[in-house]
Amino acid sequence: MNQTPRILNRLLLGLIGTLLMAAGVATTLLMFPAAARWWRSVAADLGEGIDGLLRQTTLDGQRDSWLWIVLALVMLLIVACMVGWIAAQGRGRSGTLAQDDSHADASGQAAGRVIINGSVAEQALKAALQERGDLVNAAVTTYVFDGEPALRIRVFPRSGVSPHEVATEVTDLVRALDLLVGRQTPVLISISAGARTRFTRTERVR
Amino acid sequence: MNERTAQLTRKVVRRELHSSRALPAVAVAILISVICLYVMFEAALKATGQNAWLVSPEQVAAWLGDLPDNVQLAPLVGAGLLMFLIGLLCFLSAVLPGRRARHAIPDQRTGIVVDAEVLASALARRARVAAGVTPDQVMVTVGRRAVDVQVRPTSGVPVDVERIRGVVEDELRLTSVAPVPAVRVAVAPSGVIGQ
Repeated sequence: MNQTPRILNRLLLGLIGTLLMAAGVATTLLMFPAAARWWRSVAADLGEGIDGLLRQTTLDGQRDSWLWIVLALVMLLIVACMVGWIAAQGRGRSGTLAQDDSHADASGQAAGRVIINGSVAEQALKAALQERGDLVNAAVTTYVFDGEPALRIRVFPRSGVSPHEVATEVTDLVRALDLLVGRQTPVLISISAGARTRFTRTERVR
Repeated sequence: MNERTAQLTRKVVRRELHSSRALPAVAVAILISVICLYVMFEAALKATGQNAWLVSPEQVAAWLGDLPDNVQLAPLVGAGLLMFLIGLLCFLSAVLPGRRARHAIPDQRTGIVVDAEVLASALARRARVAAGVTPDQVMVTVGRRAVDVQVRPTSGVPVDVERIRGVVEDELRLTSVAPVPAVRVAVAPSGVIGQ
């Protein structure tokens, strides 16, 4: 439920994949003499074109064209974009569970802002979940999803525990939290298997 | 629960059931960054009139120009196929749905997703109790459309296939995963001795 740009990921991966596939096919096709002949003539034309361009863009008294500086800057720009793309993955954690702004109005209500911190939900739910013997671990995180605060509850039950029992009881906790906070946020309960659930023994007595 | 919260919860669940493709995206971004940094370095050297670090742009251009003659056939085709393969992997990760091994449990208030592994271990426990065998003798595989239960009975003790199917279906019904998978129970022809 983080704000990973999924559509952007798929668009860019598709674009780069298509380009790489085309380059691969072209390279493989060079094994045929006809394609090699065609490439040699195209490459000669291209080379002349680039040489002409570089000569035109070389200033008087300079040894090389200023296009090299432009190329270096373009590469720097692409690197910056790539760093931005990496940084956009998995973004979206926040510290706010609920927020309310009220403006001063004629009825005498004072202006103010109430913010409920995400750690309220995190600590209340974690304390409740850690008492349970059928869970190995639990993690509660607040996110911003589509501009709204949202809660993600991740529980790791021991092997063999029925997921519907865990789901029902965690949902009851969420309803209790709704009453406590006074407003309903979107909640995701993720019942997961982790390394610790695999290696700890199943509970025999409950 | 208001409409906006319900709508967001549905969206969250849909996202949780599919891969975000963050890993291939990061890998591709790092690869492109490394290539671009190298090209930037060589271009900067060229612009300031220094000697090239590894190869000068002119050498690269000349090498590309008479390409099929200056390399052997096998490396050429190999490089082409490798590029095609990496491109295909990127393309497929962009196009395929990328479903994760998870199931959604419908609920009024919250969105619930459960890993197939957790569901499988719960089903295995119910099946094992119904069959009266040890945990090692039951293996459950949970797919999106089907649940496979494989039981190796204790030698000489028959197991009731219908009873196992009944409890597994009961557990699935209680869990109310959507869509409901079909249950297949297979009993191994040879039993296990000394359990």
